[in-house]
Amino acid sequence: MSPTTIGILFAVATLLLMVSGMPIAFALGSVAVLFIIIFLPASLLDTVTQNVYEEMSAITLLSIPLFILKGAALGKSPAAKDLYSSLNAWMHRVPGGLGIVNVFACALFAAMAGSSPATCSAIGTAGIPEMRRRGYSPGFAAGIIAAGGTLGILLPPSITMILYSVAARVSLGQLFLASIIPGLLLVALFSIYVGWRYKREYAAALAHVQSTGESSPILAEEEFSFKEKLRALPRVVPFLVLLLGVMFALYGGYASPSETAGLGAVLAFILIAVVYRMWRFRQVSPILAATLRESTMLMFIIGMSLMYAQAMSHLNISQSAAQWIVGLHLSKWVLLGSLVVMIMVLGFFLPPVSIILMTAPIILEPLRAADFDLVWFGVIMTIVMETGLIHPPVGLNIFVIKNIAPDISLSEIVRGVMPFIALMLIGILLLCFFPQLVLWLPSFFAIK
Amino acid sequence: MSHSVELSEIGPVEKAAVPLPEGGIWLDWLLYGLNRAIVVASMLALAAASIVLTYSVIARKFFGAATDWEDEVAVFLLVGATFLCGAMVQAHRGHIGIQVLQGFLSPAANRLRLFLCDVVSCAFCGFFAWKSWTLCHEAIVEGHRTSSTLGPPLWIPYSLMTAGMALLTLQYLAQLLDWLRRPAQAS
Repeated sequence: MSPTTIGILFAVATLLLMVSGMPIAFALGSVAVLFIIIFLPASLLDTVTQNVYEEMSAITLLSIPLFILKGAALGKSPAAKDLYSSLNAWMHRVPGGLGIVNVFACALFAAMAGSSPATCSAIGTAGIPEMRRRGYSPGFAAGIIAAGGTLGILLPPSITMILYSVAARVSLGQLFLASIIPGLLLVALFSIYVGWRYKREYAAALAHVQSTGESSPILAEEEFSFKEKLRALPRVVPFLVLLLGVMFALYGGYASPSETAGLGAVLAFILIAVVYRMWRFRQVSPILAATLRESTMLMFIIGMSLMYAQAMSHLNISQSAAQWIVGLHLSKWVLLGSLVVMIMVLGFFLPPVSIILMTAPIILEPLRAADFDLVWFGVIMTIVMETGLIHPPVGLNIFVIKNIAPDISLSEIVRGVMPFIALMLIGILLLCFFPQLVLWLPSFFAIK
Repeated sequence: MSHSVELSEIGPVEKAAVPLPEGGIWLDWLLYGLNRAIVVASMLALAAASIVLTYSVIARKFFGAATDWEDEVAVFLLVGATFLCGAMVQAHRGHIGIQVLQGFLSPAANRLRLFLCDVVSCAFCGFFAWKSWTLCHEAIVEGHRTSSTLGPPLWIPYSLMTAGMALLTLQYLAQLLDWLRRPAQAS
């Protein structure tokens, strides 16, 4: 049977098992094993577990549970609330300040925690009620948090980036550095939109007051004394020191990515013990248990996705598909556009970890042939997958928002996030026109 | 798409580390006890891995010590915790899957669909456990070690992988038995 026919059967089997509702990890593993049994020598079956172990025991991959642990320690402490309150005290005078505070808080927390849903939940729990109390429309407030949360998979340390570095065999240090300016670009785009939208909601509220005499909370001014501002700082500074300290350890050459993850987790626990007195077993065990649940689920998907990718390679599917794409002789940008659309569609249904590991063997070779920089593409791919996190029908962050603000309807949340998806696409276009926005920082630090 | 694990972590309700098997049979209670013990051991492994890697940075930077064993120890601890906790995650039904068909099928068809999903998953995990065991057995008999300077025996992580996948298979079996005993509740 030709690789094309086997490839089509492989894709159909994957689709059937995935759509059936089987756990993604076991669906991928089952398809891989089934096709090895049918089409490949039986001896290959004896090595599948060894291959999964060898791939999973890559220390870079195993930093994932430790980055999750660091994020869980911060997410389950009042750190996010304090960060939010402090930023609010210092930035309330900026037009649309509260909304922009939420974007900034999401970015900072994402950089500390490295997880999109954790960021969404930690900042949203404080941010959504506060924005609504101050008169922001529910959809707008939900959109800000859902979109801000997606920065968790872009800003370093990002689990998605760790996986991409393994799949594409590019430097994790370069990837982390490369994502900083695009992350800040998205923060800027989100903030500009939030400021503009706030002015519109403010103007609408003002017109409403003038016509009906009914006041709106969005028109009320909030004031903080300098003393209040200073009082907000001490609880936040240690966490910013943690953020900078971990980055310094990594880029100063003192620690590898996995050591950085371990160091970050230990420092996060020391900080929550000192700042919030969270050190007893009953306080710490939920953090550890939550980390085990999330990281085990993720690592199973990663392990089985790697096995799936290996089966594709043994069956010559990935090579044939890559050759076919190269053979189409598409122009550079048509190729990129097609891949972006494909990743976006996959993002409707699959988590970023699976998308990266399932598609990398097929799409990286054509991208190399078209002379794309794979570090640059890693950032583009991550932003595209970010849109999947807030895109209907199944964006994860939408459900996180629904979980923390059940009274906001799904349609309001979806309407609220759509402008942010457009902003992300604008961000991707800007990075295509100005690739140096991605590549300048890694070349400046010359991380190899 | 189902995102049960993430949502449980971030929602207002804190889940117990291992769910209580209400009305379960002896197998459910056995798995409950094993999973509870494993969760505690894995928590310690997670903490130990973080401390070992932190020690690695400090020892190298401040004492100029060679750090050739820390990565390996961290790998063993984290691989062990990952595989052994697979059953605990399944007890929560926390391995995520795509649930797009749920809304299109009748309750009876959904029950059958989920039952079949569990059967295939159980078969896969059983196969993986068996192959892990053959790998572990070979490592014991032939004395396989890692290629590092420390060179610890490979049967250690292989046995943890085998035990974890075997436990996960048992967890699936227990859930399948529960489907058969109480089909109405399973819906």
